[in-house]
Amino acid sequence: MGISATVRKGYLAAGVVAVLALGACSSGSDSASGDAKSITFWFSTSAQAQGYTDLAKEFEAKEGIKVEIVNVPNEGYQDKLRQAAQANSLPDTASVPSIDTLWVNQLQDLSSIANAEANKINKDLITAQDSKVLAIPSDVTAAGLFINKSLFDKAKVAYPTDPSQTWTWDEFLAAATKVRTAANAKYDLVYDNSPARIRSWIYTHGGKGFQLAPDTTFAAPDATTVQALADFAKLNDDKVMPKSVWTSGADPNALFKSGQVVAYYSGVWQVADFAKGITDFEWASVPTPAQPVHATDINLGGKVVAFNNDKAAAGKKWVDFIFQPANYTKLAQTNGYLPIESGLTLNYPFEKQAAKDAFALYIKEMEMADPISASGQANLTKLLLAGKSIQEDPTKAEMAKFINGEQDVQKTVDNIVAGLNQQIG
Amino acid sequence: MVHKVRKARYVGAPLLMISVNLCLFALFFIWPASIGLGYSFTSYTGVGTAPFVGLDNYERLSGDPAFWAALWRTLIYTGSVVPLTFVASLGTAYLLVSPYSKGKTIARVVFFLPWLISPIIAGVIWRWMFGENFGLVNFVLAKFGIAAVPWQSNADLSLIVVIIAATWMGTAFNMLLFIAALKNVPVSYYEAADLDGAGAWQKFRRITLPAIAPTSFIVVLLSTLHTMKEYGLFVALNAGGPGTANNLIVQYIYTTGFKRAQIGYASAASFVLLLILALIAVVQLMANRRKGA
Amino acid sequence: MAIATRPPALRRTKPNARPGSRTGDLARKIAASSVMWLLVVAYGFPTLWFVISSFKPAGKLFSYPLTFFPENPTIDGYVEAWTSFDFARYFINTLLVAVAATLLTIVASAAAGYALAKYQSWWLKIFAVCILLTTMLPGETILAPLFLVVRNLGLYNSLSGVVVPAVITATGTFMFRQFFVTVPNDLLEAARIDGSGEISTFIRIMMPLAKPIILTLAIFSFQWRWNDYLWPLIILNDPNQFTLQIGVASIIGAQNVNWSVLLGASVMSMVPLVAIYLVFQKYVMNADINAGLKD
Repeated sequence: MGISATVRKGYLAAGVVAVLALGACSSGSDSASGDAKSITFWFSTSAQAQGYTDLAKEFEAKEGIKVEIVNVPNEGYQDKLRQAAQANSLPDTASVPSIDTLWVNQLQDLSSIANAEANKINKDLITAQDSKVLAIPSDVTAAGLFINKSLFDKAKVAYPTDPSQTWTWDEFLAAATKVRTAANAKYDLVYDNSPARIRSWIYTHGGKGFQLAPDTTFAAPDATTVQALADFAKLNDDKVMPKSVWTSGADPNALFKSGQVVAYYSGVWQVADFAKGITDFEWASVPTPAQPVHATDINLGGKVVAFNNDKAAAGKKWVDFIFQPANYTKLAQTNGYLPIESGLTLNYPFEKQAAKDAFALYIKEMEMADPISASGQANLTKLLLAGKSIQEDPTKAEMAKFINGEQDVQKTVDNIVAGLNQQIG
Repeated sequence: MVHKVRKARYVGAPLLMISVNLCLFALFFIWPASIGLGYSFTSYTGVGTAPFVGLDNYERLSGDPAFWAALWRTLIYTGSVVPLTFVASLGTAYLLVSPYSKGKTIARVVFFLPWLISPIIAGVIWRWMFGENFGLVNFVLAKFGIAAVPWQSNADLSLIVVIIAATWMGTAFNMLLFIAALKNVPVSYYEAADLDGAGAWQKFRRITLPAIAPTSFIVVLLSTLHTMKEYGLFVALNAGGPGTANNLIVQYIYTTGFKRAQIGYASAASFVLLLILALIAVVQLMANRRKGA
Repeated sequence: MAIATRPPALRRTKPNARPGSRTGDLARKIAASSVMWLLVVAYGFPTLWFVISSFKPAGKLFSYPLTFFPENPTIDGYVEAWTSFDFARYFINTLLVAVAATLLTIVASAAAGYALAKYQSWWLKIFAVCILLTTMLPGETILAPLFLVVRNLGLYNSLSGVVVPAVITATGTFMFRQFFVTVPNDLLEAARIDGSGEISTFIRIMMPLAKPIILTLAIFSFQWRWNDYLWPLIILNDPNQFTLQIGVASIIGAQNVNWSVLLGASVMSMVPLVAIYLVFQKYVMNADINAGLKD
C-alpha cells in the first residue's frame, strides 16, 4: 500500500489546494468595516444600470464614498435577498422589487428624505410605518394602451390622443376590429398576462377588484368585477385576442412586434423597448379606454431602501443624494422613469417622437386616473406593514384555468380570493 | 468461497474510495434534506416559527385532485420522452462512431448544441417554430391553405411540442454516454461475427446492444429521474398550459407551494415525489439485476 | 502489468470496418450518411435559426412573415452584450469554478463508481441508492436548507461555496460504476496476485482505462457548472466573483427581455463549451479503449 498511500495523499492535497485557492480568491473583497469608504447598492435589470452608475460617479466625487453598483438579475433577486438576510450579508442600499417580511425590520428610516420639502415626493406611494419611512419608490409605472399606428392609418380609422377625450372599451374594440379587417391584420388586441394589468381592466369597467377588508383579508369582489372578468375571458376567442397569451404564456410583446396585432395593452416600461425594437411600423401610446371609469394601474418600480448595516450613515447619504431633485431628474431621464417627485422638468433622451409623446401621455393619464388605480400596490404595502405578504398573485393562474374552460367565473373569483387569503393566512 | 473472502478482506479500500462522496452526501444532501423533511410536518411559511402539524400536509396532498392530475401528466410525459430520447441518442451515437457515415465533424457539433441552450432561449426558438399565432409551422401550413393548428392552446398538442423540444435538447447528453460505451465494445466481437457472416442488424442486436447494456441502463434510469422533474422547459414553452393542463409535478410543487409561501406543504409534496422516484429507481435496479449479472 | 499483454485480436480497428464487397460498402455509406444528414437538418434547424437570429436587428426578430436570413445582419446584440457586464471577469470566474468542480467531480465520481462496481457489500448497495437520492428532490426544496448548511460551513460568498456542493453527482458516479462493471475482474485479480494494493490498482491500472469516461464526464461537468445560475447568484455577493450566467440573466428584466442582446450573450457563452467539447470528444473518439478489456 506504500505507493497508493502517497498517490492518495497527492490527490487529497490537490483537492485541498484547489479549494484553498478558491477560498483565497474569494477573500479580499471585504473592505474594513466602519470607515464607509465604499457602500453597495443592488438593483435589477440592465436597462437601469446607466442612471445609477452616472449618479454613483457624481456621489463619489462629492462625498468621497464609492458606491458599488451591483446588477442582480430579476429572477432570483428575492431569493438572494432572503438568503443574504440569513447570512447577515444584506447590501447597504438597494432598489428592490418588493419588501420582504423576513428583513423588513432591518431597514433604516428614510423619513427625512421622503418628507424633505424640496424633494416633493408623492407621499401616497411611499412605504411608511407610523412616522417611519421604510422605502421610497425609484419610479412609478402605469398600465396603458399601445396601438399599431401604421395599421390605423392604413385603415383610415381615427383614435383619441388626449386622455380627456378618451374612448370606451366598446368603442376601442369596434375600432380595432374595423382596423383588423380593413388592414388585413390577425388580431385586435394582445393583453399582458398579469394581475396588475387585469386590475385596470376591472377598474375601467367600474369594478373595485380584489380589495382588503378592514381585517386585512381579501373580501369577495363586487358583481361588476365578476362581470368584467367574464367579459375579459370572452375576448380570448382567437379573433379579438389570441388565446395563447392568457392560457399558454405566449409573449404578447413579441406578438405585437409582428405587426399583425392592432393594439397591445401593457405599460410605460414598453416605451423604451418599442423605441428601439420596433422598426417595421409606427406605433403610438393612446389613452386607456374608460367604461366609464378613467383608471389605470399605478404601480411602483423599484423600492429604494437602506439597510441598518455598519455603514448606515453612508448608505442613507447615498439615498438622500438619489432623491435630490437635480440628481433624480438625471436618473429619471436616463432610466426612462415616470417620476415619483413632482415639479420636475423632464426631457427624456428618446430620438423617437412617439416615445416622447408616450411619456407625456402617461403623465397626463396618471393625473386624471381614478384614485383606485393605485390600490393594488397600496394593498400590498398595507399587508406588509401587518407582517404579511403576497408572493404570488393567483389571478394569472386562475384566469388561465377559466379561459381554458376548466372552471366558471364564480369559481375563478372564489379561487383568487382563497389563494390570496391562504398566503396571508 | 471467493466471494466470502473478498467481502472479508476489502472494507478499507472501498470505504476510502467512497469517502469523498459520502462526506458530501452527508453534508449537502442528508443535512439540508432533513431540514426540508422537518418542514414537511409543519405549516412553515418561510418566516418566523414552524408550527408542527403532523401529517396534515400529506393528507391535504393526497386529497388534491390537481396533484394527481399533475402526477399523471408527468408519467405520460416521461413515458414519451424517455423512449424517444433513448432511440434518438443511441441512433445519433451509432452514426457518429460508424465508419460509413460521412461528415461526422459537423454532425457532432449539430447534435451537441441543443444541450447547451438555456430553457428561456429554447422557449423563444420553439415559439418561433410552433407558435400558434405567428409560428413557422402554421405559416407554412397556411401557405398550403391548411388552417392554423393550436400548438399552444390545445393541451395535447402543446405537450407534444414540449416532448419534441425535450428530445431535441436531451439527445446530446445521452449520446455522449452511448458514444463512450460504443467505443468500448471489443472489435474482436465484430470480427468474429463477420466471419460468421452476420448482417449489420444482427450484429447490432446480438453484439452491440448486450455490450452497451450497462450504459443503456443508466441512460434509462437517469433520464427517467430527470424527466420526471422537468420544469423549466414547460415554463418557457407553454407556462404549463393551456391553463393548468400541462402542469407537471414540480410545477405543481412550485406554484401551489413555494410561490405561495406554503413551505411545509411544498416540502411534503417534494418528499412524496422523492418517494415515487426512489420506487422507480429501485424497480429499475432490481429489473436490471435480474436481467444482467 | 496486465495491460502490457495485449491479445492481437484486440488491436484497434474501427468497428464494422471489415472489408466487404465494394458495392455493399457504398450502399451502407449512402444509407448511413443520408440518415445522419437528415437528423443533422432536423436537429440543426432550430439551432441555426437561433444563431442566425442573433445577427438580426432587434426590430426584425419577431416581424411577420418570418424571415430566416437577416436582411441587414448586425452584431449590435453582441456588442451590447459584451459591454453590458464585465464579460472577461465573469468568464474567468466561471472558468475557475468549472475547472475546479470538474477535477474534483472526476476524482470523487471515479473512486466511488469503482468501489460500487468492484466490491460487494450491503452498505455499498445502500450507498448506490443514496447517491441516486441526490437527484430526486426539486431544486427549490433543498435550496433554502442547503444555503443554511453552506453558510454554517463558512462557504458563503466564496467560489468554493459554488464548487464544493456540486462535486457529488449521481450521473458521474454511475457512469464510472457502469464502466468498471465491464472491466473484467481478471484484471483486478491479476494485479492483486502481483501484490498491487487496492488503491494503487485503481489509480495505476483502472483510471487510465477509464479515459473515455473521464473525458465524457469532464464535458458534462463543465457544461453543468458553466450553465449554473441560481446557486451562484445566491452564494456570491461580490460582483467581482459573479459567473457568466448571472451576467446573461441580468439582461432579462422583470417586464422586458432585450432579446437581441440576450441572443448575442447566449451565443457567446456557448462558444467555450463547444471548443472544450470538440477537443475532449476527439480524444474519446481516438482513445485506445479496447486495449486490455474483455476477453
